Amino acid sequence: MGAAPPLSDVDERTTARRYAEQLLALHGIADARLDIVDRHPAVIAADCGLIELSGAADAAPLLCPAPIAACADGAMAALIAMAPQGQWRDAPSGAQRLTERAALLGLQRRGAVSANGSCRLLATADGVIAINLARDDDHALLPAWLQADHVIADELPQLVATRAADDLVEQGRELGLAVARADRRPPALPWPSPMVPPLRLAARQAPRVVDLSSLWAGPLCSHLLQRCGADVIKVESTQRPDGARAGSPAFFEHLHAGKASLKLNFRNAEGRAALLALLQGADIVIEASRPRALRQLGIDADALIAADPGKTWISITGYGRREPQAQWIAYGDDAAVAAGLSHCLHQATGQWAFVGDAIADPLTGLHAAIAAWAGHQRGGGGLIDIAMVDVVRQCLDFGCGPAMCASAQRLQHWQQVLREPRA
Amino acid sequence: MATVLKAGARFKSAVCDTQVMVVKAPPGEHQLGCGGVDMLGGTATAPEGVSLAATLSGGTLIGKRYVNEDESLELLCTKGGQGTLTLNGTALDVKQAKQLPSSD
Repeated sequence: MGAAPPLSDVDERTTARRYAEQLLALHGIADARLDIVDRHPAVIAADCGLIELSGAADAAPLLCPAPIAACADGAMAALIAMAPQGQWRDAPSGAQRLTERAALLGLQRRGAVSANGSCRLLATADGVIAINLARDDDHALLPAWLQADHVIADELPQLVATRAADDLVEQGRELGLAVARADRRPPALPWPSPMVPPLRLAARQAPRVVDLSSLWAGPLCSHLLQRCGADVIKVESTQRPDGARAGSPAFFEHLHAGKASLKLNFRNAEGRAALLALLQGADIVIEASRPRALRQLGIDADALIAADPGKTWISITGYGRREPQAQWIAYGDDAAVAAGLSHCLHQATGQWAFVGDAIADPLTGLHAAIAAWAGHQRGGGGLIDIAMVDVVRQCLDFGCGPAMCASAQRLQHWQQVLREPRA
Repeated sequence: MATVLKAGARFKSAVCDTQVMVVKAPPGEHQLGCGGVDMLGGTATAPEGVSLAATLSGGTLIGKRYVNEDESLELLCTKGGQGTLTLNGTALDVKQAKQLPSSD
């Protein structure tokens, strides 16, 4: 296979705009006005700090020739165009959303270890995998994963080196670990058909958003909807509150300022009845649990939507709601790896490393907000299945086909663009 | 039949759909049951004439973890069924869900 012909510089500079137009077209929106300054994707990635977050700690940062930051800018511009009456003054750009946690927490690139330290890229006997031990309790699963008596995380490189990657992925998924192959680029996703009929944007009453999600993608989605004009209530289980409360208070406040907050006891009938009533009254529901988790609480998304066709239900998962993927979990770093982002970086640079900080999370939050707002504008979007891996795949596919990652010519062109003086 | 339980080993019920994986186990040989009948390891097949005991039919749920009283045994249910899991004849309890991470 020959190297892909590089897009002309002029064409690449319009990546964010073209991506925004494609997102708007997908939702059937023809009358929105986009406010985008054309910039090269490499410049967008450099200026938001994304390049600084990729590569080994003790070496120069690595340039990943995938226009993820440009797509994030395009997604943000599409959302603003859909909600022009929203609070957008001083709002971070889409690209800045990708790096804002690292900036707030002072996280830095760590090569084959994720910026937050919980995810690792590991070489197995026949391939490279990512394993994200985000929960303390995940370490207790390592003996069962590796069928060994005592395992500590620091010994993982030696322990997995003799094993088959697919076996490790299969056994890990069955145990509920976030594990994925890193050395594969999934096939291109078909771009969905545009929604019909075309959607005319109109001022509607502020939607009521009930957000059951935690960590980053879902809370960013509801934060963006709040900026669009929605009223957001964050609902947590008293037994399992949002784990991000135990993380950086500054970052938690950044995503949650201005939201109402309610904790319910999901273990008793009273708490579950209150939860059901909130979900029945919501215009937009955001949740990011495996489908079985809500079913086991007696919450049936399909039934709630059937009873209220005006509802928009955003289901954020790692790999989507279909079986068996619905059983697999993912966090932002391993989801991006599963989408082929580290594979792309490896093709371009020969090195295995993460690109950014849990990048699938903010990228998913942006796309989920667009889907939620468009669904609500349409008068009810129904159950919208948003897989973090697919969001990253869509952005990779859009501006960086498999041959482009490996194109030395294209990488040199991006590097050249970065050496040019900028305004 | 008593058997050694090792982390990562899989067992299936002889009388319902339940399947489990051992997350951790106490040393020595133990009797792992479901629905009142010994669970089957590896490729073993159910003996004839066994059936679910009515008193041990509390059911299992996929994704839940089951523990004995001192939590020296922990099983992950990989497929749900009708039987109740037992260790040496004593019913196991559902372990509470994992706390969420503070960062991903």
